[in-house]
Amino acid sequence: MKGLAMAVVALALSGTAARAADPRYPNWPCTQAKVPEISLAAVWAGPALDDAETKWKNDAKITALVAKLSARKTPIDEAERSVKEFLAASSADKTNNAKLLFAGLFDTLNAQRSQVMNGLERVSRKQREAADKIREEAIQLQALQGATPRDEARVEALGNELIWKTRIFEDRNKVVRFVCEVPTTIDQRLFALGRVIQQEME
Amino acid sequence: MQAEVRTQMSRMWRVALLSGLALAAAPAHAFIAYVSNEKSNTVTVIDTDSWTVTKTIKVGQRPRGIDFTRDGKFVMVAVGDDDTIQMIDAKTQTVVDSLPSGPDPELFAQDAAGKILYVANENDNTVTVIDLEKRSRLGDIQVGVEPEGMTISPDGKTLINTSETTNMAHFIDTSSRQIVANVLVDARPRFAEFKHDASELWVSSEIGGTVSVIDPKKHEIIGKVTFEIPGLRKEAIQPVGIGMTKDDKTAFVALGPANRIAVVDVASRKVTKYLLVGQRVWHMAFTPDEKYLLTTNGVSNDVSVIDVAAQKVIKTIQVGELPWGIAIAP
Repeated sequence: MKGLAMAVVALALSGTAARAADPRYPNWPCTQAKVPEISLAAVWAGPALDDAETKWKNDAKITALVAKLSARKTPIDEAERSVKEFLAASSADKTNNAKLLFAGLFDTLNAQRSQVMNGLERVSRKQREAADKIREEAIQLQALQGATPRDEARVEALGNELIWKTRIFEDRNKVVRFVCEVPTTIDQRLFALGRVIQQEME
Repeated sequence: MQAEVRTQMSRMWRVALLSGLALAAAPAHAFIAYVSNEKSNTVTVIDTDSWTVTKTIKVGQRPRGIDFTRDGKFVMVAVGDDDTIQMIDAKTQTVVDSLPSGPDPELFAQDAAGKILYVANENDNTVTVIDLEKRSRLGDIQVGVEPEGMTISPDGKTLINTSETTNMAHFIDTSSRQIVANVLVDARPRFAEFKHDASELWVSSEIGGTVSVIDPKKHEIIGKVTFEIPGLRKEAIQPVGIGMTKDDKTAFVALGPANRIAVVDVASRKVTKYLLVGQRVWHMAFTPDEKYLLTTNGVSNDVSVIDVAAQKVIKTIQVGELPWGIAIAP
């Protein structure tokens, strides 16, 4: 049990030390650099969006298509095909529709991305609290183990609790690493769809 | 009337000649491009006629620098995490041999004859010199911390090596293997490219966001190419790969996370156009006829095809994860 307590302390310490590479974002848990927002110019070289930035929300056809294209469950190939079909069918309104569609995707996917990033930072804060708690309890356990007479029942109970908490902590860390990939996949989707829209406009 | 017939005839002749030329040129158009995918540990093979992926070759860990041997028989790829350079047989498209580099090879350059290979080893501050015929190590050159970019002057006498940490372009005499000059450039120099007439050396700085133009004889900076894209933060503009047309008139500069290639007029050193390609565009290669320029886009995991004359992106091809370098069969 003593070995476990030491291992837990080491884990909790390393878990926190490995983070916070960028001092501007102390709660950012990912190795990928945090880019708070995608700038329009990074993904769009087409004409100025102008009032399309607000007007897309008023167009039922556009909002429905944006919702479908933004959903992670829609495979990217299928999404690209839908863009082509939609613009091919828009003839005279093509440029306008292209601008509305991209404006909608830009807003929606940027918002989706922010949500994921906020979630990651929230989990990261909780993980830090959990690490502190684990560290405290590990110290308590060590004290209990060294006490005479030794209260076996309490040592056992606290030991078990620590095993649990550590497990949850580790599982969450794994999930975080997985979710860290999500902002990038959203970037990729926005860029890929934006590129198709621009090609179709030419 | 007579004159009109004559012009019509000559027009027909011209068309006939042109189409004949086009036919004759058609087989040469099918080139084979090899793309190193840093994350998926593969090399993607692309046919430039159909613009499709024809094969994916499993290679070592972290493939980056990639180039053909001058005879076109082998593709060399630096697999940094395996501390070696692998050789792919261009006929069978399989890994057949390896070359003795130092630890963590990233990029390499070969002399005009294709006999000697110089390898930048990111981890031990050296450049390894390899005899390509014997496939053996000839020696090492001590350079700055973390060597990066590598190129050789058209006459083969000077090797240029850029260092990420010292922010310098080191000029190395290839016969004595000694550093003869250092030129300070902007932060994190990544890539170096000579004009074909050897009158200028262009060095890109990833963090500095510029390309320094150096007089290779006087070892002095004689100009700088700067980039500006409305709506993009300066930090997002990170110049890396450079490609120059054989007539030395037009340069193409990859701008990393700006997702664009800058088209630069070499004489005035001014950007004339920005082309949106893919995410984190890194390196590039021309087809030998210079009709097309292919760029590797690391985050969107694809290759963009640029029509050089039209200065337009005409195609996107999905490859492996984190495409880094590209080489096209001579």
